[in-house]
Amino acid sequence: MPVKESDICIIGGGISAAMLAQKLSELHPGIAIQVIEAGRTTFDLPGRFANRRREQLYGENPWPDDFIPDQVADGQISHTMALGGQALHWGGTCNRFSREDLELRSRYGLYTDWPIQWDDLERYYCEAERRLGVSGAPSPFPEDKPSQPYPMAAMPLSWTLEQYKVWGEKAGFPFQGVPQAKNTVAYDGRAACQRCGTCDICPTGAKYSPDFTFQALLKAGKIQIDDHTLIRRLVLEPGKSTVAAAQGNRRDGSGTAVEYRAKKFVLAAGYTWSSHLLLLSSLANRSGQVGKYMNGHEFTTAIIELDAEVYPGMNPDYGLISRQFFRCAAGGGDYVRHDLRIFEFSPRAQPRLKNDQGQWLFGDEVGEDWRQRKRAAARVRAYCDVHPDATSELTLDPSQRNQWGDPLPKIVHRFDAATQARAGATQDHLAKVFARMAANQSGKIVSVSQGNYLDHPAGGCRMGNDPATSVCDSFGRTHDHENLFVVGAPTLPAAGCTNGTLTFVALTLRSATAI
Amino acid sequence: MQRRSFFRWLAGLGAFTWLHAQGDAVALDESALAGLAAVVLPASLGRAGTDKVAQQFAAWCRDYREDADLGYGYGHPRTRRSGLNPARNYPRQLAALGPAPTRAAVEAALAAAAITALPRRPNGGHVASDLMSFYFTSAAGNDYLYRAAILRDACRGFERNAENPSHAS
Repeated sequence: MPVKESDICIIGGGISAAMLAQKLSELHPGIAIQVIEAGRTTFDLPGRFANRRREQLYGENPWPDDFIPDQVADGQISHTMALGGQALHWGGTCNRFSREDLELRSRYGLYTDWPIQWDDLERYYCEAERRLGVSGAPSPFPEDKPSQPYPMAAMPLSWTLEQYKVWGEKAGFPFQGVPQAKNTVAYDGRAACQRCGTCDICPTGAKYSPDFTFQALLKAGKIQIDDHTLIRRLVLEPGKSTVAAAQGNRRDGSGTAVEYRAKKFVLAAGYTWSSHLLLLSSLANRSGQVGKYMNGHEFTTAIIELDAEVYPGMNPDYGLISRQFFRCAAGGGDYVRHDLRIFEFSPRAQPRLKNDQGQWLFGDEVGEDWRQRKRAAARVRAYCDVHPDATSELTLDPSQRNQWGDPLPKIVHRFDAATQARAGATQDHLAKVFARMAANQSGKIVSVSQGNYLDHPAGGCRMGNDPATSVCDSFGRTHDHENLFVVGAPTLPAAGCTNGTLTFVALTLRSATAI
Repeated sequence: MQRRSFFRWLAGLGAFTWLHAQGDAVALDESALAGLAAVVLPASLGRAGTDKVAQQFAAWCRDYREDADLGYGYGHPRTRRSGLNPARNYPRQLAALGPAPTRAAVEAALAAAAITALPRRPNGGHVASDLMSFYFTSAAGNDYLYRAAILRDACRGFERNAENPSHAS
């Protein structure tokens, strides 16, 4: 069996792995860092234009074959498994959590506190924003004031977003453009955004994606990457609690067994595959906490028609956020925290072939008919803070196996009793928020729907001070194995009430100081 | 099998074999397609404009890939592949419409095909409704509908980002 040795072996190739590898190479020059990715590598910036065009014209996957057909999990929200991970596709949204997320128990008597102070985390938010290249404007709320400004000015609002902002603020909620990892000026060797409107595959490289970091690190000789390699087991040193090796198989058609030996191992394989590998290896699970407290946020979306002159398509992957409801009063009343977003939305009316009288419509008749029927609309969405129960978990499903015979993960989300008890009040609150927005510019709520999955999922290797109720400490070091770390999404106790990626990265950068 | 039916079947088999031999590509009578475009697309585009859309649609059909990776979505992912090229049906449909289709002929053909709505993407239901779908869901069609220069598919930069696009020249 081929054996590779390194100082630090990072398992997983997403955004947390990229940021960790970059920072470790700076903290420890000359250190041998091995990154292992199960999927394929796509270093093809010039090819992005062609892939983008195929997506526009035919709906084809702009990242072809970025998944492994027999390596999927029941309950997972994306199949992406490639170097760069989900952050190849991501929208680049870089919202921060707020202090309240870390103090749920001490402020509200709910769920749990994080084993980390806000001021400590905030420093790493700044670092994450610098490394990713976040463009943003200061929040109007003093509680959100960062210790360092964003590295780039915010992306300017389009005409359409300006109209939505005026409308949204009539309800009394201050809105601003979401902070994004998209260059508004050339930054870190990447170009400025050209408003291509296809951020899932940014053809100019203005949006951060981890492939850029990996390419730079490879070019500088700072890391080694083995892609097409599925790690299937971690094994301990005989008679010790330290991890000796990561073992797996090449997915290049050969199936060759491979072993990676290192001084330290880091799981940066996301919320699904980190817990999965620990369960397969029967490691870090002395207290049975691996795979528990899987979390994410609920979301509720309203489509609201309004009188406004808007033109969907001007910058469809950019939107507005209000942090009005990131905080709620402690000690009384219903606990409800959520972000509030406004996105472009096309009118419900679509071009049609027959009118209401059944007459055929061709040519200019189609346009005339559509213009008479169309009404401007906005998509308004709230990500709500919900808290997991211990039974919200990832387990091994023996009925589903990959080509190697390993049981695949199954994720089932469940809320704790307090979250369940306030569900009705949360929806009542959101109904009032949407109604308040619809009260302006002849607004009309045409639909309200609750998402049927949890977005920005995390958890499974919850951090904490007590080994009986957590898998790792606040730096991601597992309680059971001193040379085994977990970083990023799996370590979050809860998913807050807005996008999680910036928090995953901030925590990872903090972990790097202890690895 | 009657002799006529046999030869019709044989001709059909030949066409099927030819299409398979061509891979995903389907060659269309672009002149007939342009004639159809002049009937079903906005006359305000001018004949040159509708001819151009017909050419773009022919290119779209030519470059279509069958069984292509369509991704897996988000939330409840499910891998998807593209289906057969919708244009496989078009040569027969165009031939039935004749070299200079009329509005009445198109209406009759759509009615016979039980088409009552524009598909989200061309789906092979009928070349007329698919051509309309191709145009009205395109960036150019979107601009036509809004009477604005939104330029949805372009990398536009931010120079005119804050302007009302309906006023853009």
